[in-house]
Amino acid sequence: MSEPISVVKVRNVLLVSMPADPDDSTVAALQDRTLEAMSKYDARALVLDLSKVEILDSYFARMVSETAQMVSLMGGDTIIAGMQPALAVTATELGVTLGRTRTAMTVERALEVAGQPRGSAAKLL
Amino acid sequence: MTALDCGEVKIDAEADIAMARRAVREVALKVGFGATEVARIVTAASELGRNVYKYAHTGVMHWRVLESGIGAGIELRFEDNGPGIPDINDALREGFTTGGGLGMGLPGAKRLMDEMNIESQPGNGTKVVVRKWRRH
Repeated sequence: MSEPISVVKVRNVLLVSMPADPDDSTVAALQDRTLEAMSKYDARALVLDLSKVEILDSYFARMVSETAQMVSLMGGDTIIAGMQPALAVTATELGVTLGRTRTAMTVERALEVAGQPRGSAAKLL
Repeated sequence: MTALDCGEVKIDAEADIAMARRAVREVALKVGFGATEVARIVTAASELGRNVYKYAHTGVMHWRVLESGIGAGIELRFEDNGPGIPDINDALREGFTTGGGLGMGLPGAKRLMDEMNIESQPGNGTKVVVRKWRRH
């Protein structure tokens, strides 16, 4: 088993942090854990912290993208935070796209923009 | 070309995909690849390991550390006795999938590595060899 997913509520935002190299069952748990917690805490936005993640293969990428879609259907916004340079390079070369999901360099910045409408993030840069 | 070191990881369960990734990371770091190259190699291993599990359920990944005129390298060989690939060109096309995935496994792994060779026939299993070189 890999390290578990961490789920924390920060004000009205749900902060979900993924471990460095999650196995498939841990990645599969991402959707359930996240959606349950969004509903339970009545969170306005999801910040998905990938700062520790060392590998993002097509399976993991699909789960991230689907989770963002599901959160959107529930009325929440998703911000993917902290992707490392090596991860951004390999994911792009692999062909991974995350659609229109918002991203931020750090969790701190993601928490700042969480809950704000799309487009208002620009003034924070 | 000489092999300096070698090993294998059996792929019999979903969790073995992560085991294979960890073994590959360790070997790639030992060869001296940088962070981005390590991420490329480990990602390719994950895609190819998942293909073995998804299509053949069981197989093995052999790894080798190579030394040649151009530098040190890593070779990963994924072998299974699964259903095989009817048309390798189809399987290498972007977005082509028979397994319900995104269809980026094989073409993605090919892009991430320096060399890829596939041998497969329907009913006779699949052998995929990929290599990455660290130039002197």
